[in-house]
Amino acid sequence: MIEMLLILFAPLIGGLLYGFERIVRARMQNRQGPPLLQPFYDMYKLIDKQAFIVNPYHSILGIMHFVTLWIVVAFIILGQNLLYVIFLHLLSTIFIILAGFSVKSIYSHIGANRELLAMLAYEPILIMMAVGFFMLNGSFDISIIREKEASLFPLFLLFLAYLTVIPIKLKKSPFDATEAHQEIVGGVEIEFSGVFFEFLYMAKWLEYIFVYLLLFLFAGNNILLATALFLIVFLLLNLIDNATARIKMNHLIKIVLGVGITLGMCNLLGLSYV
Amino acid sequence: MYEKYRKKSPWILHYNAGSCNGCDIEILAALAPKYDLERFGVINTGNPKQSDIFLITGPVTLRSRERIVELYTQIPEPKVVVAVGSCSCTGGVFRDMYNVEDGVDRYIPVDVYIPGCAVSPELIIDGVVKGLDILEQKTKEMEKPFKLFQEATTKDGITSRRETPLRVGEDNEKN
Ligand code: SF4
Repeated sequence: MIEMLLILFAPLIGGLLYGFERIVRARMQNRQGPPLLQPFYDMYKLIDKQAFIVNPYHSILGIMHFVTLWIVVAFIILGQNLLYVIFLHLLSTIFIILAGFSVKSIYSHIGANRELLAMLAYEPILIMMAVGFFMLNGSFDISIIREKEASLFPLFLLFLAYLTVIPIKLKKSPFDATEAHQEIVGGVEIEFSGVFFEFLYMAKWLEYIFVYLLLFLFAGNNILLATALFLIVFLLLNLIDNATARIKMNHLIKIVLGVGITLGMCNLLGLSYV
Repeated sequence: MYEKYRKKSPWILHYNAGSCNGCDIEILAALAPKYDLERFGVINTGNPKQSDIFLITGPVTLRSRERIVELYTQIPEPKVVVAVGSCSCTGGVFRDMYNVEDGVDRYIPVDVYIPGCAVSPELIIDGVVKGLDILEQKTKEMEKPFKLFQEATTKDGITSRRETPLRVGEDNEKN
């Protein structure tokens, strides 16, 4: 029952998280910041706005992106197979990339290209994470991983590698070249308007839920550790977001692939010998 | 229930139609931590398809006038146009120059004028907040059903179904 409710309200929880994050970021810059419910005000406004449809596939692919992400979140909450979850998430990213390529806007194409490159960078790390959990727990099932002891220390290097993935997924600097609001005006989302942009906006909230739910896997059955991890990562992420500038796409790939794969491989090798 | 949320999320598109950059800097100052326009929910999107408020600075130069109309048509309804600075209101110091069109309102309808050569950020905030009221009003008007033509009335000897009868061959004061 509670799982069903969580799944139903996942976008709303993500919205609250996003609103809270905007306040935290504003406070870090010594500003007052928008109200907590700001994302929902944006939502009401977007529903009221006129919507331009560039072509039908574009709009539908945007909605599909949102729906698949919701299913991904539902799978994690229900405790399904971790590999399924990662590949389904890949599918949702592919939908948005296809949407980016389906219109003529050059910014949209650049954004979709960058999204593809970023996917190349973070996908291996996510898969290595799944392999790490498998070697430790003997199963890919999230429900089993959640019942075991906290795996933060045996998988600490993989955890560090995962930390580099989070800013890419949440479009935070220094790894926000996929969105790059000042240069390519949001990349793939440029041609969405009105209620169709609303779906992309809500997909962004679901992405928050997805990232933090995967983070909770490192804490296993230890709820205290999960809360601590969430708070630390949340603050660290916003601090880094405020303190750093955007880096170029090729540097992003080099850094994330170089650091992430090295750390992940070391961890996996270590696990297989211990 | 939703009505009171409508004006809480204005997203801004800022376009420089040949300004001297004085007003652009003031707009950025209004968005920066000291004045913090974001507390009203303002985001500087830079994307016409997702914005509500169109901030224009500068006298409209010959090169920029087509872009202005294009950007204006790309903003979905309801939208509000704010002319920032003396230049975009009337032409300001550039008035009557050979390459300048003396103000935005010759091309697109303007809702709020903010005068001042380099407007102060306080005035920009006031203007944007004023624009929010107009935005709400426009949102309400969008829902109202309306008729393009009314009952036929006779005014000044002309029978017409329009609110302001079309007159043929009348002197246009602008010519
Ligand atoms: S109003 Fe003055 S400061 Fe503003 S753009 Fe015009 S000349 Fe520059």
